[in-house]
Amino acid sequence: MKSLWKITALIVLATMLLAACAPAAPVAEAPAAEAPAAEAPVAEAPVVEAPAEPVAPAEVKLTVWTKEAEEGGGLPYVQALADAFSAANPGVTFEVINKDVETLREDFQTASLAGAAPDLLWTVSDHVGPFQTADLIQPVDGLVDTSMYVDSAVEAVKLPGVEGTWGVPISNGNHLMLLFNKSLIAEAPADTDAFVAAAKAVTAGDVYGFAYNQTEPFWLVPWLGGFGGSVFAEDGVTPTLNTPEMVATLKFLHDIKFVDAITPTESDYNGADALFKEGKAAMIVNGDWSLSGYKEALGDKLGVAALPMVKATGKYPAPYTSGVFFMVPKDLAADKLAMVKSFMEFATNDTNQLDMVAKLNRLPALKTALASELITGDPILAGSAAQMSYGTPMPIVLEMRCNWDSMKPEMIAVLADQKTAEDAAVKMQEAADACMLTLE
Amino acid sequence: MAALNQPTKVEKTPKKKTIFQGSAREDSPFKRFWIHVGLIIACIFTVYPILRILSVALRPGDRLLSTNLALIPPDATLEAFRIVLFDKPFLQWIWNSLAITMSTALIGVILAATSAYAFSRWKFPGRSLGLIFLLGTQMIPAAMLMIPIYILAIKLGLVGTFRGLVIAYCVTSVPFSIWILKGYYDTIPIDLEEAARIDGCSQLQAFWRILLPLSTPSLAIVFLFNFTFAWNDYLLARVMLGSQEQLLVWPLGLQRMVGQFQTQWGQFSAASILVAIPVMALFLYSAKWLISGLTLGSVKG
Amino acid sequence: MIDGPTVLKSLQEVGMTVLVIFIGTAILETILYLILVRALHYRFALPFMLIAPAVLGLVALVVIPLAWELWISMTNMSLKHFKVPEFIGLTNYVKVFTQPVLKSVTFLPLFLRTILWTFVNISFHVLGGLGLALLLNRKMRGRAIYRTLLVLPWAVPQVIAVLAWRNEFHYEFGFINLMLRDLGIAPIAWLTTPVPNFIAMCITNIWLGIPFMMIILLGGLQSINDEYYEAAQMDGANAWQQFKSITMPLIAPVMTPAIILGTVWTFNNFNIPFFINQNEIESSDILVTALFRASFQYNRYGFSAAFAFVIFILLLVYTIFYLKRSGTLKGAV
Repeated sequence: MKSLWKITALIVLATMLLAACAPAAPVAEAPAAEAPAAEAPVAEAPVVEAPAEPVAPAEVKLTVWTKEAEEGGGLPYVQALADAFSAANPGVTFEVINKDVETLREDFQTASLAGAAPDLLWTVSDHVGPFQTADLIQPVDGLVDTSMYVDSAVEAVKLPGVEGTWGVPISNGNHLMLLFNKSLIAEAPADTDAFVAAAKAVTAGDVYGFAYNQTEPFWLVPWLGGFGGSVFAEDGVTPTLNTPEMVATLKFLHDIKFVDAITPTESDYNGADALFKEGKAAMIVNGDWSLSGYKEALGDKLGVAALPMVKATGKYPAPYTSGVFFMVPKDLAADKLAMVKSFMEFATNDTNQLDMVAKLNRLPALKTALASELITGDPILAGSAAQMSYGTPMPIVLEMRCNWDSMKPEMIAVLADQKTAEDAAVKMQEAADACMLTLE
Repeated sequence: MAALNQPTKVEKTPKKKTIFQGSAREDSPFKRFWIHVGLIIACIFTVYPILRILSVALRPGDRLLSTNLALIPPDATLEAFRIVLFDKPFLQWIWNSLAITMSTALIGVILAATSAYAFSRWKFPGRSLGLIFLLGTQMIPAAMLMIPIYILAIKLGLVGTFRGLVIAYCVTSVPFSIWILKGYYDTIPIDLEEAARIDGCSQLQAFWRILLPLSTPSLAIVFLFNFTFAWNDYLLARVMLGSQEQLLVWPLGLQRMVGQFQTQWGQFSAASILVAIPVMALFLYSAKWLISGLTLGSVKG
Repeated sequence: MIDGPTVLKSLQEVGMTVLVIFIGTAILETILYLILVRALHYRFALPFMLIAPAVLGLVALVVIPLAWELWISMTNMSLKHFKVPEFIGLTNYVKVFTQPVLKSVTFLPLFLRTILWTFVNISFHVLGGLGLALLLNRKMRGRAIYRTLLVLPWAVPQVIAVLAWRNEFHYEFGFINLMLRDLGIAPIAWLTTPVPNFIAMCITNIWLGIPFMMIILLGGLQSINDEYYEAAQMDGANAWQQFKSITMPLIAPVMTPAIILGTVWTFNNFNIPFFINQNEIESSDILVTALFRASFQYNRYGFSAAFAFVIFILLLVYTIFYLKRSGTLKGAV
């Protein structure tokens, strides 16, 4: 123990010595006075930075919060965009901060409450619901020309009954699609009957015909769309979960598991993912974000297609599409707003959109970019784009949270063979209705 | 039960001789055999899950899940460790964590040691209330305070650097530490200090010269508790720190490896193993203090 | 990798803060000295000066946030009333007991489940810890190695341990099901069915919690003087009688605080129920996880603040009651 004490004492001593030669004078109880500001990650947005100054090309520092992480190249991409913009506009500097999706939402809400919100958000569309409800973001209609962007992407950030577009689209997609292993299944099945038959044919031993994340209703809603249902009524905010369509969907998922036995008994995202990568699942439903990983694992054996048509209705399953958007916090100072505006235009111009496709494998949100050779010429991206055409924008209203949370346990119960589809649908509706009351 | 406890008169300075007293009873070889069997089974249950983390770290690629039960996969590779150690700022995170944790644990011990002395030796007004309050802080669900702490930190300009975190860590384990130390001080007869004072020591000198050296085991425990708390903390770090990669502590750094859908499981596990090593070393090193320091204090609670 | 400048930079930041803390403390103590000793000649000047820095820190980090939460708990703050919440008195406290706390579960069942969770865990912690401590409390070969290995779960960072365990409960790939299959038993869907999920949570927490109890009880056992056992043996007491009338009463003073502490920690344990139950099965939620979801996922700030205070007060009452009854508090307060 003695040596431990010595070591700690040494460390403290060393730190104090180093501190003594630090450039800034240590002022007691006033830690705000720190000299090397250039490198320090100052999350304390400089709110008091005299916005009254004339509009001359003064120093502007923009704090951007992004959900893009280091992994997958998202964060470096955002940083590179920011650097390029700084180079073209002297005087503008950026601080790009990565926060994971849920953290970004919570922290943005809290930081806004403390009056220290960042200047720009780069995040997912479903954040519009909470942010708009809490009155924390502003519409972007006056800032950019929204007609330049793909309609479905712009639609994705509009709220029922509220005027305005609440985000500038960066990428489009995030949708589920059918991926298959060509060494197990020659070509994608056209409808659900063919789908089940094909899956049955390969299910044997430890190989399954079909795997998917059975624990998230995000994987249920495409089929619901295929059976002709929707989670909301026409008004876009009233849950409609106890419907014949929902019952049919749950029955379908139940039957392919317990009657046709083509899916694993329990599989979450990682389980399904591992099976598909190990070649032990012939088909998987997964999102566009997983494409590059599967390309790596399966090489040219990877096939991409739209989810098979639902035989009973003749409709194609409708996965939710969403995407990544810029959102602009409320009450931004005029000089910052101007810079935010031009940065958003810069980041979503044709060149940068195509650059994003190349670097991140995501579908662009700009009309001209989506029509480019880069997309149409790539079989996998083209398959993804084909699926997206059947997609429907994911609801972003606050009420959607109630729907997700009500569907999840019941979906799990049905897939554990513990509830009938009918009972589960009733329970879903009850839970969603109860949840709606808590939103008051 | 308090009365029964008296005869031993609680050894204040547990010498090696007395610490193994329970061992005087000799066991028959047959009994010993079964004791070993029992302990070995318990050890397997304890260690196996940890070894499984190691096994994921040794797997090539990002295969978190595998139907292969072998602890060392046939195609084992140290690639994940190499990436973590050399391609990521992992060592920097560990270093940051160490610097923060060590210094705050030390300050925490000082704060608690002096406060516990006051609580143990004086009946000042508000003392009972203070002790109940300190106990009460242990009942607060941690998540409850995060929003107000975040707002407070923003207002004080403490977010985004180590400053807020260091200050916060110094304080967080203080209540628990005070209870442990106060309990320990209570077992040390006040006569010793009084004798010292007759010899001309001031009250503080008596504390410094007599009480503190006698309390080494419990001070070590408190240090260890402060250390593990700060080392493992994620909630406060998440609130207080910015995102500059070089200036993270390891829990935040590790969290970055866990993407929303895609996780580098191999690297995550490798990093987990590396992170656990300093704590394990500290625990093993202080195992003997752990036992005497914790229990003697709580004997009289 | 690690590079020089950033190493120094982090050291410098930490060092600066430590310096600021020391200087601040020095200033605080000087002021207190001038007021309490010089001006007032106060009898308890020294103890107050001793606790002052800790008090200041706790006020900033605990008291002020608590006060803020208390205020919020009496408003209708939520996303719809975010910037200017209205004061609504005790309505939220009434709601905690009358309305579903989360989706459909109400307070009482949730509370009872939390008690069950705490009871099961603490029972196993104490039984397991005591068993191992008894086995270890003797002279034998490899004692140090056993103790070292057995204490390991305590040293592994909790979140990492929980994530590792969650993978072991995986239906296809977890070793528990793989072993069940080898034994010819039907595998169990640990992560999606309510009862097995609850059991999975308990297994994980028991694994994590036994070492702490074991170490404490081992310390308690070692402080028992051998003379008692020798005397008892002379009187012809058998092993069970010795255990019942010597061991148990003598380790009780060690065990009581450990049990109280363990109870509070288990009751408030967030990591295990939250991360094992990633599928958000409502029947696996305990009070604190429900609180977290209400607060952060549903943004019911006002309601969840009231909810938090209810949990807090329940625990406080339990602890004071238990301490008073067991007499541990007598010497202290």
